[in-house]
Amino acid sequence: MQDILTYIALGLAIGFLVKKYFFKSKKKGKCDSDCGCN
Amino acid sequence: MSNDKVVKVALIGNPNTGKTSLFNQLTGLKQKVGNYPGITVDKKQGFCKLNDTIKAEIIDLPGTYSINPTSLDETLVLDTLLNEKKNSFPDVIIVVVEIENIKRNLLLFTQIKDLKIPTILVINMIDQMKRKGIAIDVKQLEEKLNTKIVLASARKNVGIEELKEVILNYKKLDTSSIAKITDRIDEDYFTKLKNAFPEFPLYKSWLLITQNKEFNFLSDEQRKLVLKFREDLGCIKRYQHKETILRYQIINDVLKESFKVDKSKATDLRGILDRILTHKIFGYVIFALILLFIFQGIFDWATYPMDLIDGAFASLSSWVKTVLPPGTFTNLIAEGIVPGIGGVVIFIPQIAILFTFISILEETGYMSRVVFLMDKIMRKFGMSGKSVIPLISGTACAIPAIMASRNIENWKERLITILVIPFTTCSARLPVYAILIALIIPDKRVLGILNLQGLTMMALYLLGFTAAIFSAILLNKVLKIEGKSLFIIEMPNYKIPSLKNIFYEVVEKTKAFIFGAGKIILAISIVLWFLASNGSSKFKNAEETVIAQIESTQLSKKELQKKVASYKLEHSYIGYMGKSIEPIIKPMGYDWKIGIALISSFAAREVFVGALATIYNVDNDSENTGTIKQRLAAEVNPETGEKRFNFPTGVSLLLFYAFAMQCVGTLAIVKRETNSWKWPILQLSGMGVLAYVVSSIAYYILS
Repeated sequence: MQDILTYIALGLAIGFLVKKYFFKSKKKGKCDSDCGCN
Repeated sequence: MSNDKVVKVALIGNPNTGKTSLFNQLTGLKQKVGNYPGITVDKKQGFCKLNDTIKAEIIDLPGTYSINPTSLDETLVLDTLLNEKKNSFPDVIIVVVEIENIKRNLLLFTQIKDLKIPTILVINMIDQMKRKGIAIDVKQLEEKLNTKIVLASARKNVGIEELKEVILNYKKLDTSSIAKITDRIDEDYFTKLKNAFPEFPLYKSWLLITQNKEFNFLSDEQRKLVLKFREDLGCIKRYQHKETILRYQIINDVLKESFKVDKSKATDLRGILDRILTHKIFGYVIFALILLFIFQGIFDWATYPMDLIDGAFASLSSWVKTVLPPGTFTNLIAEGIVPGIGGVVIFIPQIAILFTFISILEETGYMSRVVFLMDKIMRKFGMSGKSVIPLISGTACAIPAIMASRNIENWKERLITILVIPFTTCSARLPVYAILIALIIPDKRVLGILNLQGLTMMALYLLGFTAAIFSAILLNKVLKIEGKSLFIIEMPNYKIPSLKNIFYEVVEKTKAFIFGAGKIILAISIVLWFLASNGSSKFKNAEETVIAQIESTQLSKKELQKKVASYKLEHSYIGYMGKSIEPIIKPMGYDWKIGIALISSFAAREVFVGALATIYNVDNDSENTGTIKQRLAAEVNPETGEKRFNFPTGVSLLLFYAFAMQCVGTLAIVKRETNSWKWPILQLSGMGVLAYVVSSIAYYILS
């Protein structure tokens, strides 16, 4: 059980880092076209 | 509350008009700070209840001197006000002006008023009126400016309720324009412009053609028309000058009757203080003394809460181990997650103390004098006077220092400052320097007074500053970023700092650190723990192997545990990683064990000492530094038979840590501040290559 929880925590940490490093977070709501985000 | 009607309010004004104080009074703690999409200029939003059914959403736009942008911040103000389709387009605008600088501040007001958006004029800092000998005829001023005026003192909570009442009735506000540019500049030209864009107010059309940028909200046909008008650039420039002159003529006329200053009634110390604080000799001396005081505070006062936090998290780790059933997850919590969170929380005192000082300097009005004083020097290195505070703050921690660079308007100067800050010697380098200096520099006195080890430490600080300055010169030549670098600095009045503003500023910066860089540091701590706590079959059978190896030797239980820990580390995943990088780090004079410490300390430099302590079987306890020193001093290089931490290796390591970007938190903050991975990667590789080359050369020469 403890091993499973450890791997879940590790997976969450790696997933968070991968998302942070390799994928841009999607912006919520409307993205205004004239502010450099397009 | 969720069904309330929301009035969108934009708060606009020149810097130092008390806009932020007004925002804080209106919104209290119901505010959030984010970034504008695509750029990293602070976006402050907050809510304010106007009555039982209506609330105001207040957007605090960056301070700007004019609607014609010269910086990223000012471009944002223009973007917000021109695009009606934008979410943040306001129903009503509050323009904040300061009583003493009303003439200059009103230029922005007249421009905004001409956009025909309902506008309220707030004259702030009225508590200064008597002291400055100022008298205003509000009724006359309201008539001449076709607006509703609220006299306020945001810091003293005066005029706030009246302002809320005016916001509530914003639909009754007069939206007629002030400057009649059609009649007063060139009637034919402006009539043509008006006919070309009949759907827009004339001043909006004028702004569309005078700005050298593309507006994506325009239709193709409108864009073509804009480009056609822009062809006659000479005409545009000429009319822009005429427009500014016209606006100041109007402001002078308006203020002539309704705004009076009687200098004989003024009791002002400002002139005397300004002469002293910006003096070409005393100015620098006073600034140096203030800095000395700030660093005393950061290093000394932060120690107590930091020790408390450190102790609390250490106790928490032990408590977790006693309360939870033994197992890997308990170990992860006790050795990975709790110390990981502790590694974030421990920086809070330094960040809070630093930003308290910065806020006090800003609030009192002294910071503007410092910026003015230092600008001439810093400009030679491609930075601005405003780079001084972030650079000096970097000696405590690069993370808040990089955050503090936000108030540098010019993007190139801000970027150079952000990129060179990590060269300044941060407090995380101190434990690394302390142990290495103690190992390789003899504890001798120079000239009978100066301690040689202390001098080496000072030399490393100077080396950091020198590296920052040279990098700035280089980056200034290499970076091809255009941007107007106008140095306009408001010299605000000296004020008693508002505790409320300081509190909000410190809370906001601390929150930004914890929830920004903190999450990354915690995630990396978990991964590092896993890599150091798991390994091949040799790792799993460490205890049996070590017991078999030392069968004939008499060891205490504690010594045996340390031996097992060392063996495990060698055969852990991170141990293999250390061995795999050994060929690369060999030219610098390092072995795989130092390699592990280098990899571990990639998350944060201070991990280096802890990692070495584990590798060399020593408890990571500051009281046992001597023991770590003895063990490191006794470590022998099996190839040469010489001490592992000899003079060449020690100098090489010192230089490596002086130049290398060994801090994930800093990289995360640079990414957040530049909104791109390009700059942190450039920083990481540039500083890494420099550290590698310098350390290798130093090792080669010295050995």
